[in-house]
Amino acid sequence: MLNILHVVNFAHLAELEVGKHLYWQIGNLKVHGQVFLTSWFVIALLVIVSFAATRNINRIPRGLQNFMEYALEFIRDLAKNQIGEKEYRPWVPFVGTLFLFIFVSNWSGALVPFRLIQLPEGELAAPTSDINTTVALALLTSLAYFYAGFSKKGLGYFGNYVQPVPFMLPFKIIEDFTKPLSLSFRLFGNILADELVVGVLVLLVPLFVPLPVMALGLFTSAIQALIFATLAAAYIGEAIEDHGHGEEHGEHS
Amino acid sequence: MTHSIILLAAETAGKEGGLFDLDATLPLMAIQFLFLVLILNATFYKPLSKAIDERDEYIRKNQLDARERLSKAEQLAAQYEQELATARRQSQQIIADAQAEAEKVAAEKIAAAQREAQAQREQAAQEIEQQKQEALASLEQQVDSLSQQIMEKLLGKQLVGQR
Repeated sequence: MLNILHVVNFAHLAELEVGKHLYWQIGNLKVHGQVFLTSWFVIALLVIVSFAATRNINRIPRGLQNFMEYALEFIRDLAKNQIGEKEYRPWVPFVGTLFLFIFVSNWSGALVPFRLIQLPEGELAAPTSDINTTVALALLTSLAYFYAGFSKKGLGYFGNYVQPVPFMLPFKIIEDFTKPLSLSFRLFGNILADELVVGVLVLLVPLFVPLPVMALGLFTSAIQALIFATLAAAYIGEAIEDHGHGEEHGEHS
Repeated sequence: MTHSIILLAAETAGKEGGLFDLDATLPLMAIQFLFLVLILNATFYKPLSKAIDERDEYIRKNQLDARERLSKAEQLAAQYEQELATARRQSQQIIADAQAEAEKVAAEKIAAAQREAQAQREQAAQEIEQQKQEALASLEQQVDSLSQQIMEKLLGKQLVGQR
């Protein structure tokens, strides 16, 4: 197996570059250029589309506005389901941008033939296949839910740590570390693995065989974006959930 | 540039780069993402949310309005129905009144006619009676004169005149 990979690879059918980065030097800091290039592409796409969709808002939505309204309704529903009817509105932009950014990143990695553009080092891929991006998003999510908890309850937020029983305290503290960790690694692992699988299959059998895997990759990518956004919203919702009236859980569902 | 995955996996340790290479990309990406949130909030979430909410409001208002108008129309229909029923009742009442009146008038007229007929009949009967009396009277006279003549003829004028 090893040898086959080597042989195929040396035959220059295709290349896989994992862990190679295009380094940019900013002061004495190093950043991954290829991640920023693709993320700028994604950001530009999102901004242009949303700008085009809201440039001329009609009461009866048509075309792009209709599509983006559908997306917005989807995001609002997601946030509403996880955070609750009363509190979800200020969090729609954050959760929605998480979803849109990750979704478009994942799909651009799978659909846009970035690899045709040659870089001096490394290769263009989905921004979410770089651990820095996913960790950044996960940490932002952590900050977001801390902020949500503190702005809603002040120091009373720490009461969450001893709910429903004080016995849960250590687990809740560990959770604060595992949440961003699992969020970032889940996304990173899925997207990178998907790209690798497709890459390896393309190396081995260049034509047609990778297509089902690519389709599966699209599906996984969408699911991962959904999962990330849903979990972020769920964490935020959990942080601002009112434990004082534990019996009112039903109204949030 | 001809690295295989496996080679790379071995290579990454120690060297710069690798899968888990965390550097300044992370905070910059976070900042960039926050900017994206702000931009999208201004260009996407706010205007479209406003549009959706306004549309909801518009639809809700229109629906309310329509419901109100429907209830008003139903109320009007009920009112007309009621008025119609009243009018129908009134017309029947009028017809009944008119019929009663007509019957009364007819009865009166019939009674008057009968009375008149009665009166005429009585008058006629009286006249007949009177004429009968007259006739009888004249008859008696004639009987008298005839019997006188007969007696004169039979007995002779002198005899009769003597008596």
